[in-house]
Amino acid sequence: MRVFALVLLAFCTIARAQDDAVVVTALRDPVKKSYKKMVDGAALFEQRRSELAPAAALRFKLIARKPDTSLKGVELKVEADSIAIPLKVAPDRTFTIERNRTALRENAEVTPNRKAGSMTWRADVRTPGLPPQTRRLGDLRLECEVGMKAGLISNYPQGFLGWLDGLIGQRPEYCHRAEPRYLFFAEHPVFSVTLVDGARREVLPVDMLYGGAARDPKWKQDRYCDCEALFDRAYFVPLGDTSWPDDTRVEIEYMGPNS
Amino acid sequence: MRLAVAAFVLLVGCTTPPPSKPAAKPSLVEMLSSLTVGKSTKSDVRAALGEGTVVDFASGFEVWVYRGQSEELVLLFEPAGILSKTRVR
Repeated sequence: MRVFALVLLAFCTIARAQDDAVVVTALRDPVKKSYKKMVDGAALFEQRRSELAPAAALRFKLIARKPDTSLKGVELKVEADSIAIPLKVAPDRTFTIERNRTALRENAEVTPNRKAGSMTWRADVRTPGLPPQTRRLGDLRLECEVGMKAGLISNYPQGFLGWLDGLIGQRPEYCHRAEPRYLFFAEHPVFSVTLVDGARREVLPVDMLYGGAARDPKWKQDRYCDCEALFDRAYFVPLGDTSWPDDTRVEIEYMGPNS
Repeated sequence: MRLAVAAFVLLVGCTTPPPSKPAAKPSLVEMLSSLTVGKSTKSDVRAALGEGTVVDFASGFEVWVYRGQSEELVLLFEPAGILSKTRVR
């Protein structure tokens, strides 16, 4: 009977997790990230690049989460028991990560000199040569997959779903859903996002902007979401809608003239 | 006299306009035409369109959303409260 109850609980929890927008990570501290997961994310990028974004490069990006947080001069280290490797952060607050055996063996963490909750992280996949205010859908598809694999997502705490965390968290397959709630952040506050494939154009509904706040205003109070100060820059994209090819342009119109 | 009353009734009947159909509700696009980007205020929009769903941001910008049967009208107000952008979907 106890076994049956456990199986039932597992089934229900997985079903719930597949329906929810909830993304689970297993972080000891939201501001630190697992080095191994980031290396795994970079490996997935190499594996999937030829299909989704052949000309793109992968970097990881730091994003201020609070309005009063400055990331100027932010420093990053890969830290474990016996090593501390500094990472070079570019002026646009992006960085790359190299494979290091000792760091992997010692389950290292990537640690910034910033307080927990003050910043967030994303994978950043960019095909060069795109017009300003334009992303490429294949880049975003790969960005989501790498982000899920690398655990660079909203900071749901360890134990949020108990022992099932490890089974259902960080699965890149999440990105293949028609409308996954994987948050992308634009450079500036967003007014409109349009998908363009040749003559076909489609403005995304407002429910795909601002974390869906036009439908659920309380969502932005979710303390686990890393969108807080980034609310006006957040958007979802129908990543799993295969009627839009990878070369689809994602054109972003900003709220203000700072474009 | 009876003839005069009958003639009067007939005349009134002829001149009374047939009951009119209720006016079709203007679409969101039609209602949008009464607003001016760079000029219309929140009060103007409220008077023309009623209350929308408001999403407010820390920057002071606000997005107002109106949903029709198949349309979606999104209005952007700058922090000073003036309509600055619109889009219909």
